[in-house]
Amino acid sequence: MLSWFVALSHSWLSQYMQQSRWGFAVVEAVHLLGLAVLGGVVLIVDLRLLGLILKTESARNIAHGLSRTLLASLAIMLLTGIALTSEEALKCYHSPAFRWKMLLLAAALLFYFTFHRAALLRTDKYQANLWSRLAGAVSLTLWLGVGVAGRAIGLL
Amino acid sequence: MSHFIQHICQLLYDSQFGTYIRESDYAFSIIESIHVLAITLLVGTIALLDLRMLGVVLRGVSVTRIARTVFPLTWSGFAIMFVSGFLLFWAEAAKNYGNPAFRIKLVLLLLVGLNPLIFHTTIYQRVHEWELLELSPWRARAAAIASLSLWSGIIVAGRMIAYF
Repeated sequence: MLSWFVALSHSWLSQYMQQSRWGFAVVEAVHLLGLAVLGGVVLIVDLRLLGLILKTESARNIAHGLSRTLLASLAIMLLTGIALTSEEALKCYHSPAFRWKMLLLAAALLFYFTFHRAALLRTDKYQANLWSRLAGAVSLTLWLGVGVAGRAIGLL
Repeated sequence: MSHFIQHICQLLYDSQFGTYIRESDYAFSIIESIHVLAITLLVGTIALLDLRMLGVVLRGVSVTRIARTVFPLTWSGFAIMFVSGFLLFWAEAAKNYGNPAFRIKLVLLLLVGLNPLIFHTTIYQRVHEWELLELSPWRARAAAIASLSLWSGIIVAGRMIAYF
Protein backbone atom coordinates (compact mmCIF):
# COMPACT_ATOMS: atom_id res chain seq x y z
CA MET A 1 0.00 0.00 0.00
CA LEU A 2 2.84 2.38 0.86
CA SER A 3 4.24 2.03 -2.68
CA TRP A 4 0.98 3.47 -4.11
CA PHE A 5 1.34 6.55 -1.98
CA VAL A 6 5.03 6.88 -2.92
CA ALA A 7 4.05 6.63 -6.60
CA LEU A 8 1.29 9.21 -6.07
CA SER A 9 3.70 11.59 -4.37
CA HIS A 10 6.04 11.38 -7.40
CA SER A 11 3.28 11.82 -9.99
CA TRP A 12 2.74 14.85 -12.25
CA LEU A 13 -0.53 15.39 -10.38
CA SER A 14 1.34 15.83 -7.11
CA GLN A 15 3.81 18.19 -8.79
CA TYR A 16 0.97 20.26 -10.17
CA MET A 17 -0.97 20.39 -6.89
CA GLN A 18 2.14 21.49 -4.99
CA GLN A 19 3.31 24.13 -7.45
CA SER A 20 0.10 25.66 -8.75
CA ARG A 21 -1.01 28.73 -6.85
CA TRP A 22 -4.73 28.02 -7.06
CA GLY A 23 -4.76 24.30 -7.91
CA PHE A 24 -5.27 23.01 -4.39
CA ALA A 25 -7.83 25.67 -3.46
CA VAL A 26 -9.95 25.07 -6.55
CA VAL A 27 -9.88 21.27 -6.24
CA GLU A 28 -10.74 21.60 -2.55
CA ALA A 29 -13.72 23.82 -3.39
CA VAL A 30 -14.98 21.28 -5.97
CA HIS A 31 -14.54 18.53 -3.34
CA LEU A 32 -16.85 20.59 -1.08
CA LEU A 33 -19.43 21.02 -3.86
CA GLY A 34 -19.42 17.23 -4.29
CA LEU A 35 -19.89 16.89 -0.53
CA ALA A 36 -22.97 19.12 -0.59
CA VAL A 37 -24.71 17.01 -3.25
CA LEU A 38 -23.57 13.61 -1.95
CA GLY A 39 -24.56 14.57 1.60
CA GLY A 40 -27.96 15.79 0.43
CA VAL A 41 -28.71 12.54 -1.42
CA VAL A 42 -27.50 10.30 1.42
CA LEU A 43 -29.55 12.33 3.91
CA ILE A 44 -32.79 12.10 1.91
CA VAL A 45 -32.46 8.34 1.22
CA ASP A 46 -31.51 7.52 4.82
CA LEU A 47 -34.24 9.69 6.36
CA ARG A 48 -36.70 7.81 4.13
CA LEU A 49 -35.31 4.49 5.39
CA LEU A 50 -35.76 5.79 8.93
CA GLY A 51 -39.39 6.47 8.02
CA LEU A 52 -39.14 10.20 8.74
CA ILE A 53 -39.81 11.75 5.32
CA LEU A 54 -41.66 11.01 2.04
CA LYS A 55 -43.46 8.16 3.77
CA THR A 56 -45.96 7.59 0.96
CA GLU A 57 -43.27 7.32 -1.72
CA SER A 58 -41.51 4.02 -2.23
CA ALA A 59 -38.00 4.08 -0.72
CA ARG A 60 -36.76 2.10 -3.70
CA ASN A 61 -38.09 4.71 -6.16
CA ILE A 62 -36.51 7.53 -4.21
CA ALA A 63 -33.15 5.78 -4.07
CA HIS A 64 -33.43 4.90 -7.76
CA GLY A 65 -34.36 8.47 -8.68
CA LEU A 66 -31.30 9.79 -6.85
CA SER A 67 -28.80 7.02 -7.69
CA ARG A 68 -27.22 8.73 -10.72
CA THR A 69 -26.76 11.94 -8.76
CA LEU A 70 -25.22 9.96 -5.92
CA LEU A 71 -22.78 8.15 -8.21
CA ALA A 72 -21.87 11.36 -10.05
CA SER A 73 -21.15 13.26 -6.83
CA LEU A 74 -19.25 10.26 -5.44
CA ALA A 75 -17.10 10.19 -8.60
CA ILE A 76 -16.35 13.92 -8.24
CA MET A 77 -15.41 13.43 -4.59
CA LEU A 78 -13.14 10.45 -5.33
CA LEU A 79 -11.32 12.17 -8.22
CA THR A 80 -10.83 15.47 -6.38
CA GLY A 81 -9.96 13.47 -3.25
CA ILE A 82 -7.12 11.67 -5.07
CA ALA A 83 -5.80 15.03 -6.31
CA LEU A 84 -5.93 16.50 -2.78
CA THR A 85 -4.20 13.41 -1.36
CA SER A 86 -1.45 13.61 -3.98
CA GLU A 87 -0.33 16.99 -2.68
CA GLU A 88 0.85 15.41 0.58
CA ALA A 89 0.57 11.70 -0.19
CA LEU A 90 3.12 10.45 2.34
CA LYS A 91 1.82 12.69 5.10
CA CYS A 92 -1.67 11.34 4.42
CA TYR A 93 -0.38 7.76 4.49
CA HIS A 94 0.89 8.28 8.02
CA SER A 95 -2.05 10.41 9.21
CA PRO A 96 -4.41 8.60 11.64
CA ALA A 97 -7.31 10.83 10.52
CA PHE A 98 -6.69 9.91 6.86
CA ARG A 99 -6.56 6.20 7.69
CA TRP A 100 -9.81 6.45 9.66
CA LYS A 101 -11.41 8.30 6.76
CA MET A 102 -10.42 5.62 4.23
CA LEU A 103 -11.56 2.85 6.57
CA LEU A 104 -14.93 4.53 7.14
CA LEU A 105 -15.28 5.29 3.42
CA ALA A 106 -14.64 1.64 2.55
CA ALA A 107 -17.17 0.59 5.20
CA ALA A 108 -19.77 3.13 4.01
CA LEU A 109 -19.42 2.02 0.37
CA LEU A 110 -19.50 -1.69 1.25
CA PHE A 111 -22.55 -1.12 3.43
CA TYR A 112 -24.24 0.94 0.72
CA PHE A 113 -23.95 -1.75 -1.95
CA THR A 114 -24.97 -4.64 0.35
CA PHE A 115 -27.22 -4.24 3.40
CA HIS A 116 -28.38 -0.75 2.48
CA ARG A 117 -29.48 -1.93 -0.97
CA ALA A 118 -31.20 -4.98 0.51
CA ALA A 119 -33.05 -2.77 3.01
CA LEU A 120 -34.19 -0.46 0.19
CA LEU A 121 -35.60 -3.38 -1.77
CA ARG A 122 -37.53 -4.58 1.27
CA THR A 123 -38.85 -1.18 2.25
CA ASP A 124 -40.40 -0.85 -1.19
CA LYS A 125 -43.24 -3.05 -0.06
CA TYR A 126 -43.30 -2.27 3.61
CA GLN A 127 -43.25 0.81 5.77
CA ALA A 128 -40.08 1.56 7.69
CA ASN A 129 -39.21 -1.40 9.88
CA LEU A 130 -36.39 -2.35 12.21
CA TRP A 131 -34.28 -3.53 9.27
CA SER A 132 -34.65 -0.32 7.26
CA ARG A 133 -34.24 1.96 10.28
CA LEU A 134 -31.04 0.15 11.19
CA ALA A 135 -29.73 0.47 7.62
CA GLY A 136 -30.55 4.21 7.56
CA ALA A 137 -28.97 4.86 10.96
CA VAL A 138 -25.78 2.89 10.20
CA SER A 139 -25.43 4.55 6.79
CA LEU A 140 -25.84 8.07 8.22
CA THR A 141 -23.34 7.31 10.99
CA LEU A 142 -20.74 5.92 8.58
CA TRP A 143 -21.01 8.86 6.16
CA LEU A 144 -20.91 11.36 9.01
CA GLY A 145 -17.79 9.58 10.24
CA VAL A 146 -16.17 9.91 6.80
CA GLY A 147 -16.86 13.66 6.90
CA VAL A 148 -15.60 14.19 10.45
CA ALA A 149 -12.44 12.14 9.84
CA GLY A 150 -11.91 14.05 6.59
CA ARG A 151 -12.14 17.37 8.37
CA ALA A 152 -9.69 16.10 10.97
CA ILE A 153 -6.97 15.39 8.35
CA GLY A 154 -6.10 19.06 8.16
CA LEU A 155 -6.16 19.49 11.95
CA LEU A 156 -4.24 16.56 13.43
CA MET B 1 -20.16 54.14 6.60
CA SER B 2 -17.29 51.84 5.66
CA HIS B 3 -15.29 53.20 8.58
CA PHE B 4 -18.20 52.46 10.87
CA ILE B 5 -18.43 48.83 9.63
CA GLN B 6 -14.67 48.44 9.89
CA HIS B 7 -14.85 49.76 13.45
CA ILE B 8 -17.58 47.24 14.36
CA CYS B 9 -15.46 44.44 12.85
CA GLN B 10 -12.48 45.54 14.93
CA LEU B 11 -14.64 45.64 18.10
CA LEU B 12 -15.87 42.08 17.45
CA TYR B 13 -12.33 40.93 16.67
CA ASP B 14 -10.95 42.45 19.87
CA SER B 15 -13.81 41.28 22.08
CA GLN B 16 -13.12 38.64 24.70
CA PHE B 17 -15.35 36.08 22.99
CA GLY B 18 -13.91 36.70 19.52
CA THR B 19 -10.41 36.40 20.88
CA TYR B 20 -11.33 33.20 22.70
CA ILE B 21 -12.60 31.51 19.52
CA ARG B 22 -9.54 32.66 17.56
CA GLU B 23 -6.95 31.63 20.11
CA SER B 24 -8.50 28.43 21.47
CA ASP B 25 -6.87 25.22 20.23
CA TYR B 26 -10.10 23.67 19.00
CA ALA B 27 -12.99 26.16 19.07
CA PHE B 28 -12.46 27.62 15.60
CA SER B 29 -11.88 24.20 13.97
CA ILE B 30 -14.92 22.65 15.62
CA ILE B 31 -17.22 25.52 14.63
CA GLU B 32 -15.77 25.39 11.12
CA SER B 33 -16.44 21.64 10.89
CA ILE B 34 -20.07 22.17 11.94
CA HIS B 35 -20.32 24.96 9.37
CA VAL B 36 -19.03 22.60 6.64
CA LEU B 37 -21.28 19.70 7.65
CA ALA B 38 -24.32 21.99 7.59
CA ILE B 39 -23.60 22.58 3.88
CA THR B 40 -25.13 19.17 3.33
CA LEU B 41 -28.32 20.15 5.16
CA LEU B 42 -28.71 23.51 3.48
CA VAL B 43 -27.18 23.26 0.01
CA GLY B 44 -27.54 19.49 -0.42
CA THR B 45 -31.28 19.56 0.19
CA ILE B 46 -32.10 22.73 -1.76
CA ALA B 47 -29.98 21.39 -4.66
CA LEU B 48 -32.24 18.33 -4.83
CA LEU B 49 -35.34 20.54 -5.21
CA ASP B 50 -33.51 22.53 -7.90
CA LEU B 51 -32.48 19.33 -9.70
CA ARG B 52 -36.07 18.06 -9.48
CA MET B 53 -37.38 21.22 -11.16
CA LEU B 54 -34.73 20.82 -13.85
CA GLY B 55 -36.00 17.28 -14.46
CA VAL B 56 -32.74 15.63 -13.38
CA VAL B 57 -33.89 13.67 -10.30
CA LEU B 58 -37.11 12.13 -8.95
CA ARG B 59 -39.21 13.12 -11.96
CA GLY B 60 -42.10 10.96 -10.72
CA VAL B 61 -42.47 12.83 -7.42
CA SER B 62 -44.36 16.14 -7.39
CA VAL B 63 -42.37 19.34 -6.87
CA THR B 64 -44.50 20.33 -3.86
CA ARG B 65 -43.86 17.00 -2.13
CA ILE B 66 -40.12 17.42 -2.54
CA ALA B 67 -40.38 21.07 -1.46
CA ARG B 68 -42.36 20.21 1.69
CA THR B 69 -39.87 17.45 2.50
CA VAL B 70 -36.69 19.46 2.08
CA PHE B 71 -37.75 22.86 3.47
CA PRO B 72 -37.51 21.90 7.19
CA LEU B 73 -34.05 20.39 6.51
CA THR B 74 -32.98 23.39 4.44
CA TRP B 75 -34.10 25.86 7.11
CA SER B 76 -32.42 23.85 9.89
CA GLY B 77 -29.25 23.90 7.80
CA PHE B 78 -29.66 27.64 7.29
CA ALA B 79 -29.98 28.26 11.03
CA ILE B 80 -26.87 26.17 11.80
CA MET B 81 -24.87 27.81 9.00
CA PHE B 82 -25.93 31.29 10.05
CA VAL B 83 -25.05 30.83 13.72
CA SER B 84 -21.77 28.96 13.10
CA GLY B 85 -20.86 31.37 10.29
CA PHE B 86 -21.46 34.37 12.54
CA LEU B 87 -19.24 32.85 15.24
CA LEU B 88 -16.45 32.31 12.68
CA PHE B 89 -16.87 35.91 11.52
CA TRP B 90 -16.81 37.12 15.12
CA ALA B 91 -13.38 35.55 15.59
CA GLU B 92 -11.92 36.86 12.33
CA ALA B 93 -14.01 39.99 11.69
CA ALA B 94 -11.15 42.46 11.32
CA LYS B 95 -9.34 40.14 8.88
CA ASN B 96 -12.54 39.29 6.98
CA TYR B 97 -13.49 42.93 6.48
CA GLY B 98 -10.99 43.51 3.69
CA ASN B 99 -10.95 39.93 2.38
CA PRO B 100 -12.13 39.91 -1.29
CA ALA B 101 -13.46 36.32 -1.06
CA PHE B 102 -15.48 37.26 2.03
CA ARG B 103 -16.94 40.32 0.29
CA ILE B 104 -17.90 38.29 -2.77
CA LYS B 105 -19.50 35.70 -0.49
CA LEU B 106 -21.65 38.37 1.21
CA VAL B 107 -22.85 39.73 -2.15
CA LEU B 108 -23.70 36.21 -3.35
CA LEU B 109 -25.58 35.53 -0.08
CA LEU B 110 -27.65 38.65 -0.65
CA LEU B 111 -28.47 37.52 -4.19
CA VAL B 112 -29.30 33.96 -3.12
CA GLY B 113 -31.75 35.46 -0.60
CA LEU B 114 -33.53 37.43 -3.32
CA ASN B 115 -33.96 34.32 -5.46
CA PRO B 116 -36.55 32.49 -3.28
CA LEU B 117 -38.34 35.80 -2.61
CA ILE B 118 -38.92 36.22 -6.35
CA PHE B 119 -39.58 32.50 -6.86
CA HIS B 120 -42.20 32.20 -4.12
CA THR B 121 -44.08 35.36 -5.06
CA THR B 122 -44.26 34.51 -8.77
CA ILE B 123 -44.13 31.11 -10.46
CA TYR B 124 -44.43 29.09 -7.22
CA GLN B 125 -47.83 30.74 -6.57
CA ARG B 126 -49.20 28.61 -9.42
CA VAL B 127 -47.20 25.50 -8.52
CA HIS B 128 -50.35 23.35 -8.54
CA GLU B 129 -50.58 23.84 -12.28
CA TRP B 130 -47.10 22.42 -12.89
CA GLU B 131 -46.03 20.40 -9.83
CA LEU B 132 -46.47 17.08 -11.64
CA LEU B 133 -44.62 18.04 -14.84
CA GLU B 134 -41.35 16.15 -15.25
CA LEU B 135 -39.73 19.40 -16.38
CA SER B 136 -40.87 22.55 -14.58
CA PRO B 137 -41.73 25.79 -16.49
CA TRP B 138 -38.80 27.93 -17.60
CA ARG B 139 -39.23 30.48 -14.80
CA ALA B 140 -38.87 27.72 -12.22
CA ARG B 141 -35.91 26.26 -14.12
CA ALA B 142 -34.30 29.70 -14.21
CA ALA B 143 -34.75 30.01 -10.43
CA ALA B 144 -33.25 26.52 -10.02
CA ILE B 145 -30.20 27.36 -12.15
CA ALA B 146 -29.76 30.66 -10.27
CA SER B 147 -29.97 28.82 -6.94
CA LEU B 148 -27.46 26.12 -7.96
CA SER B 149 -25.00 28.67 -9.38
CA LEU B 150 -25.25 31.07 -6.44
CA TRP B 151 -24.89 28.36 -3.79
CA SER B 152 -21.91 26.87 -5.64
CA GLY B 153 -20.38 30.34 -5.79
CA ILE B 154 -20.98 30.80 -2.05
CA ILE B 155 -19.25 27.51 -1.21
CA VAL B 156 -16.28 28.31 -3.46
CA ALA B 157 -15.97 31.91 -2.19
CA GLY B 158 -16.33 30.66 1.39
CA ARG B 159 -13.48 28.19 0.93
CA MET B 160 -11.35 30.90 -0.69
CA ILE B 161 -11.59 33.16 2.40
CA ALA B 162 -8.78 31.12 3.92
CA TYR B 163 -6.51 31.74 0.92
CA PHE B 164 -6.49 35.55 1.06
